Amino acid sequence: MKVWILAFVFCLSGNASLLAQVYSGQHKYDGEHKNEVSGYIMAGHNIVSGAFGGVELSYTRHLTDRWHIGADVQAQLGKQLYSNDIQGGYRLPWGWSNFYLDAKVMFNRYNRWNTNETIGNLSLTWEMPYFFLRVGESYIHFKTISFGYTEPPTFTFGFGVNIRPRTDPWNIGLFFRNYDDFYYENWNINWGLNFYAPLIKDCKLFGEFNIRPAGSMSQLASKYETSGKIGIKYVW
Amino acid sequence: MKKNIVLFTLQCLLLVTLASCEKVSPIGVLVSGTGVEDRVKMSNEYFFHHKLEAKLHMAYDQDEYTFLVGADSHVTHDVGRMREMLENSLNYGDLLMAHLGDIADTKAEYYINLEDAILDYKRQYAEKHYKKEYIGPDSLEDVATDDYFVYRDTVSGMVLTFDNVDYPFYPVVGNHDITHNGWALWSNIFHSSFYDVFVVVNIDPFELDHFIFLDTANGTLGQEQVKLINEGVLDGKQYEELGYRFRNTFVFSHTNIFRPSSLQFASTFPREETFFLLNQFKKWNANIVFMGHVHKWDEQTVGGVHYLTLDSMCEANNPEPGDYLVRVHVKKDGTITWERVHMDYCQP
Repeated sequence: MKVWILAFVFCLSGNASLLAQVYSGQHKYDGEHKNEVSGYIMAGHNIVSGAFGGVELSYTRHLTDRWHIGADVQAQLGKQLYSNDIQGGYRLPWGWSNFYLDAKVMFNRYNRWNTNETIGNLSLTWEMPYFFLRVGESYIHFKTISFGYTEPPTFTFGFGVNIRPRTDPWNIGLFFRNYDDFYYENWNINWGLNFYAPLIKDCKLFGEFNIRPAGSMSQLASKYETSGKIGIKYVW
Repeated sequence: MKKNIVLFTLQCLLLVTLASCEKVSPIGVLVSGTGVEDRVKMSNEYFFHHKLEAKLHMAYDQDEYTFLVGADSHVTHDVGRMREMLENSLNYGDLLMAHLGDIADTKAEYYINLEDAILDYKRQYAEKHYKKEYIGPDSLEDVATDDYFVYRDTVSGMVLTFDNVDYPFYPVVGNHDITHNGWALWSNIFHSSFYDVFVVVNIDPFELDHFIFLDTANGTLGQEQVKLINEGVLDGKQYEELGYRFRNTFVFSHTNIFRPSSLQFASTFPREETFFLLNQFKKWNANIVFMGHVHKWDEQTVGGVHYLTLDSMCEANNPEPGDYLVRVHVKKDGTITWERVHMDYCQP
């Protein structure tokens, strides 16, 4: 049984020698650089708010080989959604893979609907060269108009797969998840295509095309939001 | 490298194709059925141009009126629980009934069973509330069909054919009602999935209670419905302009907003739409919002609005007798109380 598991892991991970300690791929941690800064612009269409566009900025500091902290901000015009978060996590290497235990506290202001949302998320990510799997739970509290409501703990699920090992300089992947950078929700599974490619030394271009349906678990998923992101990541 | 580029191109083509389609599943499989945009356009057109006359119910001369609400009946071969709801309402004398969707599983024969039950109780309702009169030739009286009878309102003297009797059964559409082009079956019986109904509760001054029925079967209102709501088609402005005042408002939706527990994984509304709806319910001054879909009872009061999520009345989901219906009592002074109503039917 153990042999089969090892063989399966080996097949999924491809060539182990690709795990080079240089900035080439899109691992959550590349093993070399302590600082990461990234930003993207986005545009899309939402059923309720219509067309929207926005910008996002992120910073991550790898305190040690194992521990990291970071912060993100975004503004989406159209939706009038303004967000920020802080996060931190621990990396546990295991064979060709990494396990990440991440915690995130996020605040969203949906100005259009006079709503403030506070979210706490705890998730476990298994990152392999060809795929990742994430599970977790979210605490979500929102206050709209004059009243507040705390949702029952919300399950977090994410899965992604790449056509090349994650350590390669460029890649294309597909993902399925019930969250995005700045929201967590019950069981509307958004999905799409993402990519990254080298720009210049220590700098990468990345992007994402995302379809966010409503009613994913109601047999009749209906188009709710379509969006695209394109950005740059720099490490040092 | 060449293989990867081909794969990339194919993925892009797939995504662009699916993104341009309104109905996509998370795994990228096209789903059959009429989309929420088409349903809402059809419903709005139908209701405002053909059924406007059926929107008013009279309760101004009563100390209280009641209405009965059920959810997720998933009618198949056995219509027992559905008949029990209709029977209960007929015997109690409710002013109207509301159903929160997933009324039948999508098969033609199930909808035939459902329509038979509804027509049966519509006939009983007509005979209870109107004077039935035979208008055909004497020789055919014993074998006459509905075409040879009219129903006379003994107060107003108005004479109605059976088709024109307004049976006060108001459903919203659920996700199980619209799979596999089920909308054709559903709309053939109920016509509209997005509409409102009024109850006249006072005539001096003129006051109305407002019943709003939303199409949320896809887990989203869709662009057209959001647009119509924003334009105020459900605000009842046409009545306010005539000097009428709104008293209570009740809203009916298949998809639920609040999950009864963390283990309920059925889709609720996406974030933005949740906030849009909560604000809209407040704007409508909704007293109670009724929802179904998750087959689990839940009761919340949030921001002064009461949210009731009803358990499924379907025997397949809940084989044991239980309190699956809700009856709302509205007093003359506008006071609202509600009670859960027991269902006894079990398949023999």
